[in-house]
Formats: sequence, C-alpha cells, structure tokens
Amino acid sequence: MSESPTSESLITELDELGVAFSAEIAALASEPDIRAAQARYLGKKGRVSEALKALGKLDPAARKAVGEVGNRVKSGIEAAVSARLVALADAVRQADLARVVDVTLPGRGARLGTLHPMTQARREMELIFAELGYEVATGPQVESDFHNFEALNIPKDHPSRDMQDTFYLSPLWSGAATETLLRTHTSPVQARTMLRQPPPVKIIAPGAVYRRDDDPTHSPQFMQIEGLLVDRVGKVSMADLKGTLLHFVRRYLGDDLQIRLRPSFFPFTEPSAEVDMSCVFCRGAGAGCRLCKGTGFMEIGGSGMVDPEVFRAVGYDPEEVCGFAFGMGIDRMAMLKYRIDDIKTLYEGDVRVLRQFP
Amino acid sequence: MKISMRWLAEWVAVPDADQTARALTERGLEVEGIERRGDNLAGVVVAAVRARQPVAGSDHLTLVEIFDGVSVHQVVCGAPNVPAPGGRVAWARPGTTLPGGLSIGVRELRGVRSAGMLCSEQELGLGDSHDGIIVLEADAEAGREIASELMLRDVVLEVNVTPNRGDCLSHLGIAREASAAFSLPLTLPRVDFAALLGGAGAGAAAAITPPVAIDDVVGCPRYQARVIDGVRVGPSPLWLRRRLEAVGVRPISNLVDVTNYVMFDRGQPLHAFDHARVAGGAIAVRRARAGETLVTLDGVTRQLETGDLLICDAERPIALAGVMGGKDSEVSEGTTRVLLESACFEPRAVRVPAKRLGLHSEASQRFELGVDVAGVDASSQRACALLVEVAGGRVAGQGSDLWPRPLEPLMIPLRRARLHAVLGLDVAAPEVRRLLGGIELGEAGGGAAGADGEVLRFQIPTFRTDLTREVDLIEEVARLCGLDKLPATLPSVSRAPARSGDRVAERARELLAAAGLHEILSYSFVAPAALAARGFADDDRRARPRRVANPLRLEQSAMRTAILPGLAAALAHNQAQRVHDVRLFEVGPLFLPRAQGADDPELCDEPWVAGGLLAGERDGWLRSGGPLDFFDARGVVEALVHGLTGHAPTLAATSVVPWLHPGVAATVSVLGRELGVVGEVHPRVRDALGLTGVVFAFELGLDPLRSAPPAQLTRPGRFPGSSRDVSCFIGVDIPAARVQSVLAAAGGALLAEVRLLEDYREAGKVPAGQKSMLWTLTYRSPERTLTDVEVDAAHAGVVAALASELSATLR
Ligand SMILES: [Zn+2]
Repeated sequence: MSESPTSESLITELDELGVAFSAEIAALASEPDIRAAQARYLGKKGRVSEALKALGKLDPAARKAVGEVGNRVKSGIEAAVSARLVALADAVRQADLARVVDVTLPGRGARLGTLHPMTQARREMELIFAELGYEVATGPQVESDFHNFEALNIPKDHPSRDMQDTFYLSPLWSGAATETLLRTHTSPVQARTMLRQPPPVKIIAPGAVYRRDDDPTHSPQFMQIEGLLVDRVGKVSMADLKGTLLHFVRRYLGDDLQIRLRPSFFPFTEPSAEVDMSCVFCRGAGAGCRLCKGTGFMEIGGSGMVDPEVFRAVGYDPEEVCGFAFGMGIDRMAMLKYRIDDIKTLYEGDVRVLRQFP
Repeated sequence: MKISMRWLAEWVAVPDADQTARALTERGLEVEGIERRGDNLAGVVVAAVRARQPVAGSDHLTLVEIFDGVSVHQVVCGAPNVPAPGGRVAWARPGTTLPGGLSIGVRELRGVRSAGMLCSEQELGLGDSHDGIIVLEADAEAGREIASELMLRDVVLEVNVTPNRGDCLSHLGIAREASAAFSLPLTLPRVDFAALLGGAGAGAAAAITPPVAIDDVVGCPRYQARVIDGVRVGPSPLWLRRRLEAVGVRPISNLVDVTNYVMFDRGQPLHAFDHARVAGGAIAVRRARAGETLVTLDGVTRQLETGDLLICDAERPIALAGVMGGKDSEVSEGTTRVLLESACFEPRAVRVPAKRLGLHSEASQRFELGVDVAGVDASSQRACALLVEVAGGRVAGQGSDLWPRPLEPLMIPLRRARLHAVLGLDVAAPEVRRLLGGIELGEAGGGAAGADGEVLRFQIPTFRTDLTREVDLIEEVARLCGLDKLPATLPSVSRAPARSGDRVAERARELLAAAGLHEILSYSFVAPAALAARGFADDDRRARPRRVANPLRLEQSAMRTAILPGLAAALAHNQAQRVHDVRLFEVGPLFLPRAQGADDPELCDEPWVAGGLLAGERDGWLRSGGPLDFFDARGVVEALVHGLTGHAPTLAATSVVPWLHPGVAATVSVLGRELGVVGEVHPRVRDALGLTGVVFAFELGLDPLRSAPPAQLTRPGRFPGSSRDVSCFIGVDIPAARVQSVLAAAGGALLAEVRLLEDYREAGKVPAGQKSMLWTLTYRSPERTLTDVEVDAAHAGVVAALASELSATLR
C-alpha cells in the first residue's frame, strides 16, 4: 500500500483475481474445498475484498468504474462456484448411475409358505356357493350310525349299505350301545342341519370323509363338498339342481364346460343322478382323449332330489317341502384343476410339491 | 352283472353292443366295460390234418401237414395226440399272438420248417388241459375261426346294477330295459310244460308231489318244489358252458349249470337237491332253533342263529334259505332224481345270515335285492325244460307250489303337478303314459282330475319291487325321458346366508403360510405307536385314543389325539427325499374320547388345533441363515397368536411336557387362556418318530380363540420419546421376562417401550454364572416432550431397581 493504485491497475488486478479463481477451483473436487476457495477470494479478508479496500483512495468517478468491475468479478466468482458445484454433483450422480447390480441374483427375505392345494380348492368352491347364498355348515367327523345312515334312508341290513365301506370305531366301554363310525360322506351334516332348523335350508358342507377303500386310486380319507337346498314345493326343482351344478363347474373350471346328469341310485335322493361334466382335458371333444376314454365326459359326483324318507326322518313334511342335494370330491376337483394324477400325492406333505401351489 | 349280447339277443333283437351300452347307461344302468370275447383268438383257425410223420432225430416231434381251407402248411408239433389224417386241429397262423402273449411265427426245428403252431386248451386260455393239442369234431370246417367253431364269440357288457334294481340282475331284466329303450318287442321263450310232463304214454314219469310246509310266510312268501326224475349227471353241452363262462361262472355239471343258467337268465335263484338225500322227500321252511348247525356245500359246519331261515327235510336242516345248500343233500355224480327249489325269500332273511357268515353269492345277492315272487313258476318251468334237454330227465308232475298270500296288485297315483314341481319339467300325460307303459306300468283307472289336479294311476309289475311311492314314478319318468331334457335353471330361494365357515381356522392357515410354513393334510387315523411316542400323562384322555375297529392297516388305527404324528410323518417323508429345510403346519381336529356320562358319549370332542413342525436351517441370502432354533418356532407362534387375537402370547418355561425337551419348551397363553405348547421335540420322541436332526414343534388349540375380542385402538404418542441403554451382568437363570417385568415396574408410566438388544453368555467372556444383557428403554409422555433431566431421573430409578431386585452389575 505504499504506492497508491491507479484505477487501471486495480481493474487489472480484479480481472486477474477472477481468472486466478477460475483456475484454482477447476482443480478442486469437493464442496468444502470450493467453499474455502470462495472464502479466500470473497471473504471479509479475501483477496477480492482486500483489493477493493483501495477503492476509497480513488476519485469518485474512477471508484464507480472500478466498483462495477469488482461487482462483476464477485458475481463471476459466485457463478463459477455454483457451476462448479453443479458439475461436481452431476459427476457424483453420473458415477452413482454407473453402478450395476446383478439382478439375476436371488431375492432376499423369508419365503412365504403355502396353503394346501385342497384348502385352496375348498375355499374357491365355498366362495362360488357363497355367492349363490349358501352357508358353510360343518359337523363332527366321528359320527353316529343314525346321522350317517339311518337319517339318510340307509337302514341297517339294507343292501345300499354295501355301497360304502365304512370304518367303525371300537366301543369305548363294554356295552356301549350305538355304532360309532367315521362319516362316509358329509351328508350327516344335512341331517344335523335339518334337525336343527326349519326350512328353507341352503348349505354346503365341506370336510373330510372316510371310506374303507384300499387301492391305488383311492385314499381312505378324502375331502367332500356337499350341497343341500330345501324350500317349499314348487320353489326348487331338479332343473334347478342341474343349473346350480352347471353354474358351479363353469365358475370353477371354465365357461365352456357342460353338465350331464345320468340316472342312478342313492338311498337319500329320488330321483338320483350321477353328475358328469365335460372332460377338462379335451373340453368335451372326446375323440382320442385318454382321460375320458373318448367319451368327452368325466364323473364328478352324485346328486338328486331329497328323498321323502329323509325329510320324514328329520321331521319335515315331504308334502310341503322339496329340495335337492349334491356331493362331489374336493380332492377330485382339485386334482382336475391342478392336474394332479395321484391322490396320495395330496397326503404326503412333500415340500417340493406344496411349493408349487402358492 | 355281466350281460352276454348273444344271450340278450334271445330276449330282444338289440342293436350292436355299443348302442345297447349307451342306451343302458342313459337309463341308469351304467355299462362300465365291454369285453369282446374271442377276439384274442384271431388268427387261430380250424385245420384239417393231411399227413403226419415223425421228425427225424426226435423221439417226440411230429411233422404235420395241414390244410387251412385255402392252402397246405407244414407244422412241427410236440404233442402226443396229433390225430390221423382227416382229424381237425386248432392251428395258430404265423403272426398270431396267443392270449398268453406268445407270438407265433415260422421256425426251424431240427432242420424242418414249421409254420405256426397246433394249440392246446391252455395255450388258448380255454382251460387247464395241457395233455395235448385240441382235437375238434371231425366235421369242423377247415379255415373257420376257432373262436366261432368253439362258440367263443360273444360281446359281454359289464353293467353296474344299482341296489334298487335287483330285477336287472338278469338277462330278462336288462332285456326289458333294452326293449323299452329301442321300442322292440320282448321275445318270451315259451315252455310247453304240458309236453314236458310227457302226457303221452310211456315216457311220462310217475308224478311226485313233495310235501311243502312254510312256517314263516314273511321270510318265505312262496316255495315251489318240483321233481325231475331220471337225470344223468354229466358235463353240460358246449353252448351252456359258454353262456356261463361269458357271465363269469365256471361250469360244474349239467344239474348245477342249469340252475345257474336260469338265475342269470331270469334272475330267479334255484337250488337242486338230490331227492334221494332229502328225508321223506319233504320240505319245511322255518326259522332256526338255538344250537342248530348245518354243514354247508363247502364242507364248513355253520353255527346257526335263532331266526336264520332254513330249508329242512323231514329230519334236519338241508339248506340256509337263499344263502347256501347243505352238503348232505347236494346233487352229486350219482344223483338220478332232483328236487328243484324255486322260491322267494325276504331280503333281510337272506342278508342277515349271508353277511354274518360271509357267504354272499350271486343267489343271495338276488334275494337281498328282491326277486319277482310272481316269476317263481316260470323260472322253475324253464329249468325243468333245460334239465330234460341237457340231463335227460323227466318232470315228475306239477310238484308243489305254496304261495299262501298272493300279491294284491299295487297301484300308485301320480300327480302331474307334483311331477312338474319336482323335475322342473312339464311332461304331458300322454307322454307319461307312453314312457311308463314302455316298462310295463299299465295305467289303471285313467287320468282323474281332482283337488290335486290331474292324477294318473299306474299298476306296478311284480318284478319292480323298487316302485312303491309316487316319487319312484317321478324318477322313472325322469329316467325314461332323459335327464338331458331338463332345463338348467337357478333356484329363486331367498335366504340370506348367516355367518359362515370357520374363520379362526382359515385365518390361522393364512398366518402360518405367511410365516413361511407349508400346509399339509394328513390322515385323522395314525399309528398307535406314534401317539404313544408323543407321550401323555396316564390320566390324560389323549392317552386313550379311539381305535378304528376295522382299520386297513395298523398305522391307521388310532384316531389322533395330537397333531404331531401326521406332521412328523410328512417331515420323515421329506427327509427321506433328502429335503431337510422343512416347515410344515396342519390345521384340523383332534378326536378326544368323551366321558361316559357326556352328551352323545359315543362321539368325540373334536377340538381344532394348529400344529407346526420346523426343521433344518433358516432362510439366508445365498447361504443358509444358520440352523433353526427355538426362537424361530416362537416367532411363528407369536405371529399366529398375535394375528388371531391382536395380543402377544405369554410364554412360560415348562419342563413337564413329555414330548418336548425339558429345557426347551414353553406353554403359550393369551388373554389368560393357555393355548398349547411350543418347543424342541424331545430326542426320544424324535427317534421314535424316525426324524433326524433337531426339530421344533408347536400345537395350539384354536377353539379358545373363537371368542377373542377385536383389537382396540391405542393412539400413537404425539410427543417424541428419549432412549437410554442399560447394560449389565445378571444371573444366567433369571429369565428375560423377569428382567423385563422389573424394568417395566420401575420405569412407571413414563417407560413406553423396553427392548432387549443383546443376550450374551459365552463362557469366559462373562463372569461365571452370569450373562450380559443390553436393554434399550424408551421414555415418553403422552402430554409433553420430556426434558433430559426427567428422563435421566426415571432411568436412574430403573437401573437402581435392576441392581437391588436382580443383583445386576452395571457395566
Ligand atoms: Zn377327454
């Protein structure tokens, strides 16, 4: 400060400071360094500020001109700082975007378990019937002879008992009178429901049933779903039974399927009919299909109009009420839907199988 | 029931087997199979022997020159009975495959070319005789198919006859249905019985009228006995044997074969007694008395029970009515005079002893399903005619026919309105008449219009014992007009469904699947040993499971009183497949015996439980997450109970659950109710169930949760909390839950949250008998932000309590 600066030399100095700053921050790669550099130039004791202290010694006209230069240099430095910071952030972002993850590596986190395919099938069936207004009813699996047979018009010493091989339980104590058995169908739930409430009745009864069948295509325990609708005579007919079954198979297995009722015999229904539906593999075409042996149909269950004797056994007046009942194997329907060919697969609990039914 | 198409064609001129089968199936007589008999002998023909000479260098081979109706062939035969030139043999052409699977070709034997093969009965599957080749009648036409020559060609339908249609267990019954189906007339074979009695002169046998007495007309509504004299026992003619073979019955002798033939023809079981061995030649039908026995045809002495229906002669029982004849009175080779029984027995009277003695037969089956009481005589006449034809006998008079209470004709009214209501299809009266008329239901009395609308009345033929009610006629109309005629409609029933299904069980399944477990279904009956291995206290009713009286196998003979055995079996199956990381659950009922005084004591309490089994390693990322431990199982239980109730369960250590490790087991409770247990399966139980490795399990009752109240909202605090850590050494036996309760009590209302961050107990790094614990405590007020001074003061109290109440040493 020995010599007093001229306005020209001051302008030159300021311009040089601007150029020097640009050169300095070009080499800086972090925001703190850049801010420090900014402070070295623009801070209270920064180089630009120091240079501008000489301003007071200039005449007012020169002071104005140099002041403008000073402001220009200051804003130039500030702009350089912003630009540099933006560029730096951009570089960081670019570097981050260059990151690559091997997305084909497996996901982390515990895997979900599964509901058994038969549970899934049962729920889906329940839902279809729930939409039609059916209530889900349940009953005991260890049953009395009365509920499983007598109330369903299957008297003792009657040949229709031979239609179902029954598991009996050993009496609990000597002299225990009644025969106790594992229910052979879910039909006792019908009897129990009707004994409990007056008509109308509209239920489905899903659950485990037991038959003393021992061959490769049968399992001694399986799941059945049974439906019962009882109302006043004239409000429910066999045509309604057919329509209900048609609605069900279409909702469950596909809109293109057909239903066929075939006359048959069950002690608790009259008329009785086997229920066939279009083969789910050839969709009813038949020809050349191994599954339906070329018939285009496969049997899925039994059905019929509730026999007057059943109404009598539960205290309904068969002159007043009419109804239909149907039953089918949940196992079978699940096997058809999921293309499971061996029923025993369903009862093994093989994790490699269960995982396939999420 | 097997139906021979050839046989059926004698009754009605049915079209081919496929059409017949379809028609029967549509009418409720499901044809389950069609067997084309004789097809398997295609390529085997009648051949005429032209010449025969020994094969050089062999002591038993014959070179036979044969003619097959077209050309001459040479065949080498090893049988000793090659007939002389002119004889007829059965020759399998080269290219034929015999029923046993043997392929016939052209071979060289001892340097001699041999085309095809001369066959024995056994090679053609016709019998057991392997003594030599078949030698046919000398006039058999060379070149004719052997199947035709031996009357083997037939098509047999396997008809599934339902228990209501006993009348269809015969060719006549099926013919009636086919006749209606195709609108073809039934050909009723006429038996000229008067001619059989040999009215003209010397051939006539002296009339023998067996005395018959029926003691129980309910058990035996009708009994007919005829005598055929002068029979010669021998094999039946070929046609008769073939008929019986076609329906699956082994021919025995002409007398027995005729009774069987008539049974399959008309559905009436018959029995032939040797008249000479029927004391007094008299028949009495009565119920058995205490202590009586009968040696049946099969040589077994049967203990009779009071009430069994017996056929007796003047001295003793000679047959169990409808079930089996007695050995003493059976026809044998020396029989010359037959007493032929044609009778009707009540279904129960046959079924009960047949079932008790395990003597179900073709005959008993027909009586059980009901035979046509009015058809007894026609069947007897038919059998008489056949006995005369095939056994050379003479019918000794009309015999006896006792039918104390002949049937009243049965009339059933059918209301057309009811028919319409049940089927949902209006069938016009003329059509109803036409359909029912086709199966011999004649209208009686015409259509009357009364209060019930139009009523049709039908007379029921005696062979249709299944038709007794109006609804049975409705079924017949439906069956005959075809169920495909029914429209498919949906009922218009207005009933809002009530609360439905087992929500708790369904939710439990969802929660357990979400926790990573796979659902299984297992059998409700398990191995008694598996239940025993699980272990129960002696006074626990689960120690005495209900037993299946007639199990298929011992492993399926005890009704499960625990869910573990099924899960263990599934785990064992997976481990056998080398799948070791297995997490399974099952939701289902247990079967617990009831006390003698309970309601319906013979039934079971069926509480629903959720059980789980965990084995192997936990999921990690790329590598295993390490072996599962108790806390994985506990985590599942917590998720389940919390998901079902909105409350965390309380676990308390227990060492008295017999199937769990005494040091790694806990009871699980929520809302003051104990649900069950979770823990490590006891090594002894693990071994007994065939499991490998450490296994964790739980079994929780679901029924106590059915009434769990819904979760109630607690508003989250609006003011921030402050956390403080406390780290200490503490006695290793002090459970975390005890520490937590001391912390909670000391922290008071401001202590909002307590979390355990570390439980460290590695020997050498902590003082002996101690463990290191690190807890984080969060203090919060619902009304304001706490100051550091307030928090520090509260925390100091908590720390002090740890030291004073639990002798913890602060670190
Ligand atoms: Zn198909």
